Amino acid sequence: MNFRPAFLPKQFLNCRFDESCALRWKGRGARLGRSLAFLALVLAFTSTLFAQANNEPAATQVPAATPALAPVLSHDLSGVWMPYSVHMDGIDEKLRPPLTPWGQARFDAAVPLVGPRAIAGKENNPALQCEPEAVPKSLVLPNPFEIVQIPGRMFMFFEQYHLWRTIWADGRALPKDPDPTFLGYSVGKWEGDTFVVETTGMNDKPWVDSYGNPRSEQMRLTERYRRLDRDTLEMQIIMDDPKAYTKPWVNPPQRFKLEPGWEIAEFFCVVDEENSYGDAVRKPAGVAPAPK
Amino acid sequence: MKDAMEKASRMCLRMMVPLALLGAILLFTPILSSQTGKQPEAPKPGDTSAPLSHDLSGVWMQYPDGPAPGVPGMNAIDERFRPPFTPWGQARFDAARPMQGPTAVAGRENAPTLHCDPDGPPRVLNLPNPFEIIQIPGRVLMFFELGHVWRTIWTDGRALPKDPDPTWLGYSVGKWEGDTFVVDTIGFNDKLWVDVYGSPRSDQMHLTERYRRLNHDTLEMQITMDDPKAYRGIWVNPPKLHKLEPTWEIAEWFCVIEEENAYSDSIRKPAGGISTAPK
Repeated sequence: MNFRPAFLPKQFLNCRFDESCALRWKGRGARLGRSLAFLALVLAFTSTLFAQANNEPAATQVPAATPALAPVLSHDLSGVWMPYSVHMDGIDEKLRPPLTPWGQARFDAAVPLVGPRAIAGKENNPALQCEPEAVPKSLVLPNPFEIVQIPGRMFMFFEQYHLWRTIWADGRALPKDPDPTFLGYSVGKWEGDTFVVETTGMNDKPWVDSYGNPRSEQMRLTERYRRLDRDTLEMQIIMDDPKAYTKPWVNPPQRFKLEPGWEIAEFFCVVDEENSYGDAVRKPAGVAPAPK
Repeated sequence: MKDAMEKASRMCLRMMVPLALLGAILLFTPILSSQTGKQPEAPKPGDTSAPLSHDLSGVWMQYPDGPAPGVPGMNAIDERFRPPFTPWGQARFDAARPMQGPTAVAGRENAPTLHCDPDGPPRVLNLPNPFEIIQIPGRVLMFFELGHVWRTIWTDGRALPKDPDPTWLGYSVGKWEGDTFVVDTIGFNDKLWVDVYGSPRSDQMHLTERYRRLNHDTLEMQITMDDPKAYRGIWVNPPKLHKLEPTWEIAEWFCVIEEENAYSDSIRKPAGGISTAPK
């Protein structure tokens, strides 16, 4: 993105559907001159319309809490993203609030595969039965996910267990009394340069991490995304679940790297394969050490 | 996408002349990308109908025109058109114990879906539940409600891989041939049945799906299976119609083993006359 006509602010070179278009502009724009600069302006303006899902303030509006001179970040989150850290620290147990009695009972009943509470041969992680892991855990698994944005919706495709979810970005509200599901019901909107995703309506079956920390149907999950630069996506996970935890669980931001050459591969959870892996590798190896 | 494009266009018209020109370029760009670099073919001689839409997006539900009136037919794959088995195909078919049809044996079913094995094409195309199609540049995405399965069909002009690792969904590429969107898929594993009766699928299957949007509300799907390891002939199925459901959203329906087992014990086995009383 070195080429930029002087009168065009940087954010006008955002690209909506194609990661590489900014790079293409770099080569072609230098040759074609002023008229194409206008085209870039219109393209950028259209992208802004799309990204705003019809209901949002203009992209150039600076969020109130940010200094007025802060650079405007891209509102295009699309691409394949891989966590910088494979330690799944987007959900950090060290920052977990105290458990409620309900949460404690759930936590005590959980026998994880890893960490100090693992008991070889007694693990009861629902993922061993190929139950969907869903959010928030899928967000921190050490595998890539892809984001696709279309008007009114954002899709996330997680490689591990071939999971997909919809985040409605058409301005709709969260449902009042949703039936509990694995993925819950998600809506998202831009607050300045942060895409904020709110999810409710989750069931209480999956754990939120590998250590058996629970999630109840009262959880309200907030994810905050910022594209810090072309190659870097920041995600922060906040879990407010008064049935399981006495306070909101606020995690530190985690970073993801853009992988422009990657495609999400097929990685299904298959019970037979899970069992053979357990018999051939996991059980003989005993308890896996904690990753940290 | 259409609404947003129209909005963008309207915006452009309010602006000055050069911008209107550029708006035209914008409108032209999605057409280019949706063609994946190819011009549509001329209509066949005798075909006087208007060109069909190349927008397949929406939630589609199959017509209730199966053998039992009023219920989804699951007849996009039709046994009556199945070619003779090869010996490999016959052995697989004989080992399959479906939950329905003449070869079903209550209590001995071994359909892969009872273990929540992933569903893939062509079977997932035929399940009596809606799917949604989303088109983005270079790709068509299909979302199936049953099993919460999604698949990618690459429309960026790439060729099928030469020697893909076998997977549940296979590897799919699609292109427009006139008004027909043709999807070719190879690279399947041989674990899934192609229907509910135990007809097999091998790693040599080449699946072809042909889609035409006959009108705003109607999508036609036609499935052809060429699997020389399993069948002595190509299995060509009749076209199956699907209806647009503009207000539907794909719901969450995961296969969960515990729920599958509970359903079996409380409903399926008793209905088949099998006792599920504790021993």
